[in-house]
Amino acid sequence: MGKTLLKTESLSKSFSSGGAMQHVLKNIDLELYEGDFTVIMGASGAGKSTLLYALSGMDTPTLGTITFGDRVISDLNADELAVFRRRHCGFVFQQIYLIDGMSVMDNVLAAGLLVNRDRKALSRRARELFAAVDIPPETQSKFPAQISGGEAQRAGIVRGLINAPEILFADEPTGALNSKTGLHVLDTLTGFNRQGQSVVMVTHDMRSARRGNRILYLKDGVILGECDLGKYVHGDAGRHEKLSAFLAEMGW
Amino acid sequence: MKKNLYLALIMIFFFVETAVLFYFIWADVSPSQDTVAVNEVLKGLEADWQGPDTSPVYNGLDYVVLDGEGRVLFSTAQGLSESVSAATAHRDTMLDIRQGDKTVGKLIVYNRADAIYESRKRAIAVAVAFIMLLQAAAIGGYVTYLRKTLLQPFHRLKDFAQRVAGGNLDIPLEMDRQNIFGAFTESFDLMRSELKKARLAEAQANAAKKELVAELSHDIKTPVASIKAASEVGLALADSNRLRDNYTQIIRKADQINTLVTNLFTATLEELEQLSVTLTDMESGELAQMLENADYLHRSAVPAVSAIPPCLLCADRLRLQQVFDNIYANSYKYAGTDITLAITREGSRLIVAIQDFGGGVSRQELPFLKEKFRRGSNAETVEGAGLGLYISDYFMRKMGGELSVENGPGGLKVSVEVPLSYICK
Repeated sequence: MGKTLLKTESLSKSFSSGGAMQHVLKNIDLELYEGDFTVIMGASGAGKSTLLYALSGMDTPTLGTITFGDRVISDLNADELAVFRRRHCGFVFQQIYLIDGMSVMDNVLAAGLLVNRDRKALSRRARELFAAVDIPPETQSKFPAQISGGEAQRAGIVRGLINAPEILFADEPTGALNSKTGLHVLDTLTGFNRQGQSVVMVTHDMRSARRGNRILYLKDGVILGECDLGKYVHGDAGRHEKLSAFLAEMGW
Repeated sequence: MKKNLYLALIMIFFFVETAVLFYFIWADVSPSQDTVAVNEVLKGLEADWQGPDTSPVYNGLDYVVLDGEGRVLFSTAQGLSESVSAATAHRDTMLDIRQGDKTVGKLIVYNRADAIYESRKRAIAVAVAFIMLLQAAAIGGYVTYLRKTLLQPFHRLKDFAQRVAGGNLDIPLEMDRQNIFGAFTESFDLMRSELKKARLAEAQANAAKKELVAELSHDIKTPVASIKAASEVGLALADSNRLRDNYTQIIRKADQINTLVTNLFTATLEELEQLSVTLTDMESGELAQMLENADYLHRSAVPAVSAIPPCLLCADRLRLQQVFDNIYANSYKYAGTDITLAITREGSRLIVAIQDFGGGVSRQELPFLKEKFRRGSNAETVEGAGLGLYISDYFMRKMGGELSVENGPGGLKVSVEVPLSYICK
């Protein structure tokens, strides 16, 4: 277990709809550790994405504290949060949100330039990352409309990692992909995690969840349980069995 | 119908049996010789009479032939009577064999009455046994029928009685009106339904009484509120200290009446099982306002919202306010000192500890403080009904929390444990 990267205390998130308060997250006490591939599972509406957005500073919690490294980010205002986020968090979404008018490489560099002015160093890192996700140089200069969904998502991962974030947050990264390209994207994430990248992924897909070494099950805004798959190497049948048993216990 | 059939069968078998026995008793059981066969033998012998050389005539009878001097000429089997005296003793048939007018010998036909008698006895035994068997079957059927019609209803009655004794008055007694005990069991069931009606009526009367108290409590609060409002106006306008003191007194007493009536009202409702606790998610920061509301004499420093551990609580705002009101009111009444407040989170609970410096209560009394109508020994001079902590405890338990009372340093410490919201229904 690595050192604690992120810690929450009584993290709660409420939305007001038509005068009635809806509590999407309730008193979540959670620690995320360095080097983990943490998977947040749960049914639709369980609060998975809300939790991911709160953890990553995309949104502020209604109650409770979030400590990222040694900084309490739950007290930051929107601008401070944006700056913090760029530097420390990477994002991969189901909808990839590449900018249509820029080449794939420029999309990645744009994200990098917000934090780092050293264009040369950025390009070098981008090329390394593209190589790691199997996107050849000719594809890097194409526009988002010209590449496949799987390539776009892998480019999205490169964009998420360009600033060397402490944690890469992925929200259903394979949700919009077919199973083969989805597998490639998962392999890419697993590969980066093996090199030490901490990943937090939200999914409701068991095949994706199997990639994690720590599975959290969220239900009605509460972490109902967690499962440690760390002792099984990737591809071990025991991993699948243990996860299935855990999910069955959680009432998946 | 079945019963009569069985009875009829039994009677018929009995009569048949009797008839058979009587028949054998009165019928001519002394067996007589077949006269024709005997005559046939006699005529045969007379026709072929050749003195000692006469050959026997066989037609199934056993007999001995003697000559004129009483000597045995021949006998058809062993062990027959071979002299006139033996024949007489055995009641054999003796006939003279004549040739012309002369008696040349004697025919002694063996009397087989014993054997015939034996076979008749066997026939009677078989017939009687057969009829008795039939009769036994009929009696067996009848007994089974009786068991079904008489014993089973009684067993059912036993189960029924046990249920009624156990207080279950809802299950009626099954009965068969055709049964001879139908009317009998029906009256039992009538008893049950009457008992049930009486019970229901009693419960309704009780509920009505409690409702009346509940309504009255509510009605009392309205004029008290008016008195209080008028007194507050009076206090604001009062120009002398004496008047001000009087108005303050009136307001204080009105508040007391209010508290008492509220508790009485809630206690009655609780017995009616109408005391609802509706759990909702609420932010822990709301406690600050609640505690401030409860502490109307400002005896404690109200914590800043930021000093309360931020979390989501699962509680009923209204009831939680009532709990705090009761705790503060108690402290005002019995201790009357400053109050300290501490709010901490422990695991899945937020604990609000409210402590005064009035010396607390004795160790013996501590465990009973939360009981209904239970008041401490120091309570004699203080108004109250002994319901406050009882109701507060009830509310907290309904919320899944807890209320605990202990002697802290200097005074009584009441801890209200409010559960954090996880799965709040």
